[in-house]
Parts: sequence; C-alpha cells; structure tokens
Amino acid sequence: MKRSTLFRKSTAAPLGTSRQDDFAYLQPGEIYLDAACQSLRPQPVVDALTDYYTSYNACGGRVKYAWGQKVDAQVADTRKAVLGLLGLSARTYATSFTLNTTYGLNLLLQQLPLGRFDRVVTSHIEHNSVFLPTITAARRLGVPRLVLDRAADGALLYEPAQLEKAVVVVNAASNVDGRQLVNLTDLVRDTHARGGIVIIDAAQAMGHGRALLQKTEADAVCFSAHKMYGASLGVVVARHDLLASLELSFVGGGMVQDVREEDFDLVQGDPGALLEPGLQAWGEIIALGRAIQWLGDTRPGGLAPSDHLSALSTRLYDGLAEIPGLTLLNNTPSPVISAYAAAQDAHRLAVFLSHSQIMVRSGYFCAHHYLKEQLDLPPLLRFSLGLHSTASDIDSATQALARLLKGLS
Amino acid sequence: MFCIAAFIVLVVMAAFSARYRRYVGKAWNCVWRRVTFRPCDTTFKQDVKDHILAPIAARRPSLVKPASITLEVLAVLVILTTIWSGYTVVKSAVNLYVYGTCNKQDSASCTLGAEACSIPDETPGFMESLGAFDVIGAFGNEFASLGETFAAIPARFQTWTADDYLPANASYLTEDAANPTAVEVIDPGCTFCRALFQNIEESGFESTHNLTYIAYPIKGTDGYKFPNSMLVTQYLEALRLHPLEGADTPVDWEVLKRIFTEKAETGLPWQDTINSMDAAEATATLTSWLDEFGLSADQIDVVVAEAGSDTVADIIAANKVIVEDKVDTIKIPTIIFDGRRHDGLVSVDGLQ
Repeated sequence: MKRSTLFRKSTAAPLGTSRQDDFAYLQPGEIYLDAACQSLRPQPVVDALTDYYTSYNACGGRVKYAWGQKVDAQVADTRKAVLGLLGLSARTYATSFTLNTTYGLNLLLQQLPLGRFDRVVTSHIEHNSVFLPTITAARRLGVPRLVLDRAADGALLYEPAQLEKAVVVVNAASNVDGRQLVNLTDLVRDTHARGGIVIIDAAQAMGHGRALLQKTEADAVCFSAHKMYGASLGVVVARHDLLASLELSFVGGGMVQDVREEDFDLVQGDPGALLEPGLQAWGEIIALGRAIQWLGDTRPGGLAPSDHLSALSTRLYDGLAEIPGLTLLNNTPSPVISAYAAAQDAHRLAVFLSHSQIMVRSGYFCAHHYLKEQLDLPPLLRFSLGLHSTASDIDSATQALARLLKGLS
Repeated sequence: MFCIAAFIVLVVMAAFSARYRRYVGKAWNCVWRRVTFRPCDTTFKQDVKDHILAPIAARRPSLVKPASITLEVLAVLVILTTIWSGYTVVKSAVNLYVYGTCNKQDSASCTLGAEACSIPDETPGFMESLGAFDVIGAFGNEFASLGETFAAIPARFQTWTADDYLPANASYLTEDAANPTAVEVIDPGCTFCRALFQNIEESGFESTHNLTYIAYPIKGTDGYKFPNSMLVTQYLEALRLHPLEGADTPVDWEVLKRIFTEKAETGLPWQDTINSMDAAEATATLTSWLDEFGLSADQIDVVVAEAGSDTVADIIAANKVIVEDKVDTIKIPTIIFDGRRHDGLVSVDGLQ
C-alpha cells in the first residue's frame, strides 16, 4: 500500500506503535479516527457474529430446538453481561435491545406516562439523539423543556428546583469533546428527591468511560453496541418501575403473553421485553456479549484499555494543539477531540486527509444546536480514538494535518 | 458555475459508465438551484472539487489554491463551450431545414445537405469578427444571421410556384402547354449544375416539365467563383433577347447543353475547359458555337454586341434580385417544381 507523502516518520514514540492483533485486518496506512461514530470491531467479535450466522443461525425466543435454545442462552448471557458491565442488579434493572441509542431514547421518551412529569430537562451539548426526542417528548407530555448549560468539566449546571418532577435526559460523555457528566450521582439523587427520573445517553461513555456509570441509580441508560466494539445494536438498561410505567404504543410479537380480539396481555416477569417488539438482532446481541468479554480481557500494550487510551488521548491532544491555525474545542485530552481551522473548510480537510487514508469526521457531529447555533462555529473536524488506534496513527494524522494547514494557508 | 460544468461532464460520463449515474441526480439538483438563482443546498460542488484537489493536496498543499482557481476557470470554459456547441447544433439544424445546408456561410462544406456550389456569405464570420476585435459586430452579425434563418422558416412551408420566379425572356428546354413550369437557378461554371442537367436528361424531366433557368454567376472573393460564368451568362441572356427563329431548341439551351454534357477535343468536359480559359478564349469559343448552332455572322455580331449591353446587365441584375431576395437560396443549383423548392443537386429519382 502506497503511503502518502503527507506522512513523516514519528520522532518520538513512547507508546507501543504496533496495532493489536485483534485489528490485524486493518491495512497498512489505514488510519481510522472515527471511533466515536462506530468503533472498529475486534476479530473475536467478528468471529462471534460469523459463528452465529454460520453455525446456529436461528431465532431466539420460545423455541424448542437446539439452535434456538443456544441463541436464547447466549442472549440471556449478554443481558446479564450488560448489567454486569454497569454493576447493576437484574432485580432492579432490565436490559432491552433496540436499533441504536437514538431508537432506545425514543422508545422511552415517547412512551412516558402523561401527567406524571412537569418538565423535560436536557443540556446544550447534547447529540441530536437526545436533543430532538426531548423536544417532541415535551410537546407530547405538554410540559416545558429546559435546556441547561454544562460546565467545562462536563457537570450539568442546575438548581435543584429545576429538577422538580423532571425527566432529565443528558449524555454521560459528549460526542464533541468527550467531557463527562461528572456530577451524575448528585444529579440522580437530586432528581429522584423531587420525583423526577434521569435517562442517560451513554453512547460515548460505554466504550471508554464506563467508570462514571458504575452502579448508577439513573432510571435508564441508553447506549450503542457499535460504539463499544460490538456489532450494530442499541441497548437500553432501565429500571423495572420505569418500564412498567410506560404507556406502550409501540408493541408487537415478543412482548405479549396472550392476545384477544380487542386486547392483549403483556409478558410477565421480563420487563426488558417491553421495549422489544418483533424479531431481535440475535447475532448482534450475541456479538455484544463477546465484545463485553473482549473489553474485559484486552490489554493493549500491556495496559488497561482506559490507561492505554488515556495516553493516546494526551498524545493526540498535544499533537493537535501544536498545529498553528488550529483551534481545539477541548480543554483537556479526551478520546474525542474536535477542532477547526478558521481559514479552512473542515469538509475539505477531511477529504484531503482521506486521500492519505486518514479517516476523520467533519461537520457538526449531530450537535448542530450547540456547535452551530450556540457557539456559532464553522464545521469542525473530529478525531476519535479507539482501542485499535496507535501512537503511529496519531503522529501520522497530526503531521499530515499540520502540513496541509501550512500548505493551504 | 462549477456544479453546472460538473453536471455537463457527468452527463457525458454517465452515458458511458453507470458509475457516474448516481452523481448526475445530485449534480442536477445543484444545477437547478443555481439556474433558479438559489444557493446550492448540497455539498456537491465542494465534494467534487475537494476530491479532484485531494491528490494535489497530498503532494503539494500550496498548489491547492491555484489549482482550485484553475478548476473554476475550466468550469467557465466548459460551460461556454457547451453553450456554444448547443447553439451551433441548433443553428445548424435550423439552417439545414431552411437552406438545406448546416453551414450557411459555406453551404458546400456541409456534408449533411445536398451537394451544391455555395453562394458565399460576405458577412464576416463570428471568429473572423472576433479576430478583428469587433466583438459587437461578431455577436450582431451572428444573431442577425440567426434571425434571418428563423425568419425564412415560413418559406419552407409555402407552396413554391415556378411561374412566380420566372426571369425575363424565359426560354424553355422543351415546351408543352400541358406541362407545369419548372425553373432552376444555375451557374454555368458549377459542376453540380452540370450534374443536375445530366440527371434532368436521364430522368426525362424536360418532357414532363417546361424547364427554364435563371443564370446566376456566383460571386467569389475576387470576381466570380468561376471566372467565365458572367461571360457565359451574358451570352445566354443575349441569346434570349435574340432567339433564333425556327430553332428546335433555343440556342441558349444548346449552349448550356454543350457546357454541361459535351467534351472538348482535349477530352475534358466543356464546363471544365471554359472554367480554365481566359476571357478572350472563352469569347472565341462561344462565338464559334453560335456559328455551329446556325446563327449567321450578322446574328452573331448582334448577340456579341448585346452580351455587353446595359440591357443584358439589367436583366442579370434583376435575376440576381430574384435569386437572392425572392428565392433566397444559398445553394446552386436550386430548382423549383411540384410546389417545392429543392436546394442543391436533385437525384434522378427526385426528379421523377
């Protein structure tokens, strides 16, 4: 594979530059820096999905034959693994599988009971997956919607009274700059104390920032398997009482125990099924189970994944911060870093970098309100790291961008 | 401009490769917004430009800006040449319909029309005018010519009656009161007029039509296109003024028949021979033919004197008006019969 002349050799590489074997399918020169959209899948996850499709490709759910029972067992194991990953108990929480985080959030928000809540609360830095459903949910519930600021450290800035009987929907980690909801525990406590609920968008947190969510008492946590090394899949972890309170309008097979001409009985003892109408993505669920297992086992460069990624994030942050003419949105290193060059169009830069096989995202990253309306910024470039990333990837990308900006200026 | 140019290029490329067809819709969306004076609501232009410039950015980022400007200039050129090409196609098609030639200035150069000798348009061409830095004249002449062509379209729908275009002292190859009249516009030096005459003989056209002619010497850049055409025309008109009593075929037609169908002693057709003669030789040849065709010495003197007279000059001028203003043809020969005007050489089948 030809390497672009944009690259120069890395001058210093304190981190191991070799890629993990689990991502050996990446071709030399390919630099994927869009893990915030979708993380690359390690080989064991790919193998698990392939194994399902080629060895026991059956439906789960009330089947009596061997393949189906194997699917059911593995799906049950994945539900358990998800709860285990968050340190939550199946006595209080249930796991449901959906299409993606957006879909999961909508399933909850659009089926909340009428009359129970007085407001919907969210923040300015939300992804459209939160920002848009909170608008429609507030309209449906007939309550006001409050959009709050987030501190530089990611904490939600609120007065406790603002949480009175509130549906609070916020992200645990920003998809723009990676800042985390550091006051999650306080937020949940204060909201619950005032009769409200907290729904967390954990799409960006589950891959590399799960510590924040350990043993959370939030009412629901929505995330995407495809941002945490699994196949494309949405996950909702919700309290049993929240699920039981939903005014279900999205119903189908798999949710019911009995059906009559004009009525039906919902399935009992499986609250997670209330968000799972119709056939499920069995293979993807099983692959998520394997991804969770892989996340627990993997030791990139002999380090814990979080340590490895932290070092890479610092390297990326430092490398980008040194580029003249580039403005970073981040104040601190993060696996997700957004930046813009005032004199250059981000989309153009992304295309130019792409020609050198450097894959970065450009635009507003589905955070139009925050970046475009509130901050009045031009389209940005976003670099996001995953466990497939290496120090060499980062050096190549930052050097290529530096050379581009110098030449284009 | 760029997205319009890209659309044009993509349409051409899509005709040959399915790979580009998916982009045509996007390009059209952008073009439609552009031509309706709205901003392009897609990133199509940017995407295309960036992908073209990406290889340059990878090697020499500093060249991206000049390359980008070059792309914009090329886009303008693509659009201008496309507009010009489209205009030329439409203009040529209309010219072909109206005049039987796609090139009005040089009708013989258009292979789509019937073969003919062209009557050159003395108006300077578009590029010629531009070359002379006459931009206003270039566009003015171009559009005047186009307007003239469009104005002539109704003439194609009219019923052409040869009797309406008869010259003074019309003489007929054969005459039969029962036959309709046909009139042809010819230049005695034009090889396609010779071919038409041969087709007329082969088809027996003269026995079904009362055929007469308008002799029209085609002007050239210096004098006449065929140097002795005016001289021959003068003799033909003089012979029409002084027809030979009792002749089976009018002597002017005998002269034409010889020019168009017979060969000189050298083996060359008389037409080519006369075209290559100087005026004195041509005059001597014509005079000797008159003797052969039965004119007495006195009669020949009268004809020779008449050929140079103002009367003949006036007749030739009047015929010129008929050809250029009434018939409004730019191709020689042109023949009018059976309600239609036929520009250029007509085949034997066409005459039958």
